[in-house]
Amino acid sequence: MLTIMNTMLRALFRDTHTLVWNIVFPIAMLAGLGLYFNDGAYSYRLLSGVLTTNILFGATMVTAFNVMAQRNRGVYKLLRATPFRTASFVAAMTGSRTVLALLVSACVTLMSVVLLGVELNLLSIALMLTVLLVGTVCFTALGFLAANLSKDEGNVNMISNLMSFPMLFTSEAFYSLNHAPQWVVTIGHLQPFHYLVEAMGIAVQPQGDASGLWLPLAILIGFTMLCLVAAVLTFRWDADQPPFWKKRQAGQQAASM
Amino acid sequence: MHTKTLIQASGLTKSYGSRTVVDGVDLAIREGEVLAIIGPNGAGKSTTLDLVLQLRRPDAGRVQYWTQEPARHIGLQLQSTPFFPGFTALENLRMFAAFYGLRLPDSELMRQLSRCGLEEAARTDALRLSGGQQKRLAIAMALVHDPKLIVLDEPTAALDPRARRDIRELIRSLAESGASIVFTSHDMEEVHKLAGRLVLISGGRVRASGTPEELLDRYQVDSLEELYIRLTDADPQAT
Repeated sequence: MLTIMNTMLRALFRDTHTLVWNIVFPIAMLAGLGLYFNDGAYSYRLLSGVLTTNILFGATMVTAFNVMAQRNRGVYKLLRATPFRTASFVAAMTGSRTVLALLVSACVTLMSVVLLGVELNLLSIALMLTVLLVGTVCFTALGFLAANLSKDEGNVNMISNLMSFPMLFTSEAFYSLNHAPQWVVTIGHLQPFHYLVEAMGIAVQPQGDASGLWLPLAILIGFTMLCLVAAVLTFRWDADQPPFWKKRQAGQQAASM
Repeated sequence: MHTKTLIQASGLTKSYGSRTVVDGVDLAIREGEVLAIIGPNGAGKSTTLDLVLQLRRPDAGRVQYWTQEPARHIGLQLQSTPFFPGFTALENLRMFAAFYGLRLPDSELMRQLSRCGLEEAARTDALRLSGGQQKRLAIAMALVHDPKLIVLDEPTAALDPRARRDIRELIRSLAESGASIVFTSHDMEEVHKLAGRLVLISGGRVRASGTPEELLDRYQVDSLEELYIRLTDADPQAT
């Protein structure tokens, strides 16, 4: 398992999607927006927003692309012929992505301390770690789900964008929704990114009361379970295997013959 | 001489919608033999292998193995080149070794790549290798855990003559070392050179099986190509 995680992690650092979405994008966003606004109070929201957006795009989009590419090349079909369990493979993939997310988050956090004057205590760091871990698993599972619903690269791009951008826009990652229409706020409450942002927002506050964190974190864990179950139920071993809704149609056709 | 049977498949059937792809196939794979499965495109060869290797669930029929853990002792090379995108040849081999529970040092992985003539391509992105090198890497991945049975699905398809020759030599050397090998092919010359026994599948059914000499004698033909054409003429799927 460690060999697999290690090899995956090394390859991640050579992957263009990973470099852009997981490493360059969050660091550039933090530096750009932080220096542009140059506002001490906003720096905390910015740090929380960058960390969570990094998970949203990094885990969801990059996982979706990787899973789809591996499946369409027949990697999973061959994996199935080995004694290695799929659950272990998914765990190794999620593990390597989590290590990467933690490394990038550490860089982003350090930059926010040095460049933007953000102050964090040990409790904040421990809570941020917890939220990061749960968030990475949740959005990696969502990435698997996006790949399971896609048949090619164009498709996976569209589906992962359709999942990610509405979640970003109906969250309070970078701006408040206090003056937004009620329907936007309602939609925001129905998706996991809202709770990731809420939990991270509380975690990064240095002197804040952390008790408000448990409810959004619990809801995020609930979404994580749902996403994991959906990812497992819709998992496709090879590109020839139809998506789950077509499988059901095929089964109904066969039954009616 | 009594030869141990490694895999015994009986009555394998698989349909997709109204189309029956594999129709009551019986297949035995024996220890130490080189078995060729031949037939036209769409005849059901690869699906039969998928069913035998438990990669797809048959609608009917059963498969018996010589061991409780067949996945641990079978090496498989697929028709496609299933490499992890962005991984080098060495990293792909390391991953598949790990899938079999092996943590091999780089020196051992390099030795295995070298056996397949890939030592200089070890640090190259697997997807940038030539067609012949990709096939050899796929075979190296199938051999990484020293399997008792090696299954190669069209190992020489779409390769230039030199790459085909290299892979045939690799298969021959594996056979000489006592490995049991099953391969699919369209190349009757290759089949005649390598296989000790062959099974011809057409329209999802086994049309003939035996040693090349037995089949030439039984059907009174001069070559396997002639036999192939005669027995697959009636197959509407033949291309």
